[in-house]
Amino acid sequence: MSIQIEEIRKNYGAFEALKGVSLTIEGGELLALLGPSGSGKTTLLRIIAGLEAPDQGDIRLHGEESTHLDPARRGIGFVFQHYALFRHMTIFDNVAFGLRVQPRGLRLSRAQIRDRVAELLKLVQLDSYARMYPDQLSGGQRQRVALARALAVRPKVLLLDEPFSALDAKVRKDLRTWLRHIHDELRVTTVLVTHDQEEALEVADRVVILNRGVLEQIGTPQEIYDNPASPFVYNFLGNVNLFHGRLLADLTPAASNASDKHTAPSIGFVRPHEFDISRTEPDNGQTLPATIDRLLATGPQIRLELTVPGSPNPVSVELSRARSRELDLHEGDEVFLSPQEIRIFHDRPAGDPLLEQGAGI
Amino acid sequence: MSSHGSHSALGSPSLANKLVRLTLIAAALFIVALFLVLPLVSVFVQAFAQGWRMYVDAVRQDDVISALKLTLLVTALAVPLNVVFGIAASWAITRFDFVGKNALITLIDIPLAVSPVVAGMMYIEVFGLHGWFGPWLDAHNVHIVFAVPGIVLATIFVTFPFVARELIPFMQAQGSDEEEAAVVLGAGAFSVFWRVTLPNIKWALLYGAILAASRSIGEFGAVSVLSGHIRGRTTTLPLAVEMSYNEYNFTAAFAAASLLSFAAVITLAIKKILESTSGIHSSAGREKDRA
Repeated sequence: MSIQIEEIRKNYGAFEALKGVSLTIEGGELLALLGPSGSGKTTLLRIIAGLEAPDQGDIRLHGEESTHLDPARRGIGFVFQHYALFRHMTIFDNVAFGLRVQPRGLRLSRAQIRDRVAELLKLVQLDSYARMYPDQLSGGQRQRVALARALAVRPKVLLLDEPFSALDAKVRKDLRTWLRHIHDELRVTTVLVTHDQEEALEVADRVVILNRGVLEQIGTPQEIYDNPASPFVYNFLGNVNLFHGRLLADLTPAASNASDKHTAPSIGFVRPHEFDISRTEPDNGQTLPATIDRLLATGPQIRLELTVPGSPNPVSVELSRARSRELDLHEGDEVFLSPQEIRIFHDRPAGDPLLEQGAGI
Repeated sequence: MSSHGSHSALGSPSLANKLVRLTLIAAALFIVALFLVLPLVSVFVQAFAQGWRMYVDAVRQDDVISALKLTLLVTALAVPLNVVFGIAASWAITRFDFVGKNALITLIDIPLAVSPVVAGMMYIEVFGLHGWFGPWLDAHNVHIVFAVPGIVLATIFVTFPFVARELIPFMQAQGSDEEEAAVVLGAGAFSVFWRVTLPNIKWALLYGAILAASRSIGEFGAVSVLSGHIRGRTTTLPLAVEMSYNEYNFTAAFAAASLLSFAAVITLAIKKILESTSGIHSSAGREKDRA
């Protein structure tokens, strides 16, 4: 089922949670709503679910105006951050809940409910836990029960509100992969809210990036990674070096048109693997002298932290092991950095906290 | 459990430490015995002073029996009404945002702040013959003051906060996730309340109801003002105690007092059982809720 979101606005007192967000979610896709806390992503999800009403704007489910439709009639499954399992019910009763509260005419028979619950518990690999209570299960198991419960009523849309953020790193990764498999199997339109860029880029078909109630960018993970639309997106995706104004002008005489580069404040982003390092100063001039502060050799790539004179923030660089060996790098060495790719943004938006922090790593 | 806690907190106790601890425990026990246990025991001693038979006769007096019946009737009316009110207020306060929410929370506490005697006077002012609604009520032959309805009203007033005050923090801590989950799964409002909310709050609700019941049984001040002390008609057990005592009928007074004390012991026992089985107001329970 497709979802059209048009010009949604929502305020909580003086706080503007959503400032006019429009978006179309295609039937059958897995879409991630990505953003920092306070970006409005959870509010948007709850508005899609009908748990909150927007101040302005429309929600259309499968082409039908549904802005004020009762949540129970939207055909949605919702998975909460803290599972929200019914603590006084067994796992079986939790999963069966949605089937049992159906109106009499639509309700399945006892035997059908039993079969459907068994089928779902099998899907989430918890068939032997039917008689247990939620507090006897681990966090990962509880979230799987919550997913089974949401899927029991055969929702046309599955909404997940930071479903894995309360779990530890290993379980989170497993569940993320597993969610993708379930989605590929069932092909239910799915909206996943997350603040974890890695999660969003890894799982979703498309990613929507929200910042302070505004949609910053929408695209496939590849598009977003390759072409971040704004400094915010660049920074939020993480692992990036940021250079301010004057330094940038010196760095890239050819990259921007020469007339405004000294007047307009601008920032440039270079990802750690987009640098080359040399022992001697190359003659093209687009280099920075730097000192290696730290060299981390654990992992497939060598990670360097360097100080560039005049730049307040350390620069991080990733190199292949082979290249590092070739250059024979050590902590304390003086080297030259040549950015292979640089992305420049003019008119730095004022008061953006992420940018004011300087380089995000 | 507390001795275990203090043990680990203080490390291995020295002799002086032990002495201090023993002294404190002894002092606490002594005070409890002197001011709480001894008077309670004396009630029963006095009640049985002239033997079993006299006690049974005293308890079986018409006045005592009717006072007991009235007390139970008032409790049976006041507690369910306060349960309904308590659930409604807690639901409204913890699940919705509305103007005047803080005022409502404060208003619920008024009965705890106001002396019950004043509460009784307020009802006379409102419903009494010379009060605001008195003449109208009298014209329609409705009697509130110096009649059973007045006693019920007074009791409802003084027990107003008990259920709500028990439920509000509990429901706040639980949050509304489970209810929202139920709504999204297609449950109607009644279904959500019956299948999700009520099972989750049942222990806290019962606990609040027990507190309200024990207060209903024992309430004196507000009831005293509104009852008119009509023997056999508007006399509850606490009033019967006072009236008999003032008439130097000590056996009757202590017989009624012993009934009240029995009621107190029973509610205390139920409360204790509730605490241990449900985990309300115990650290173990809070642990379980968080897990």
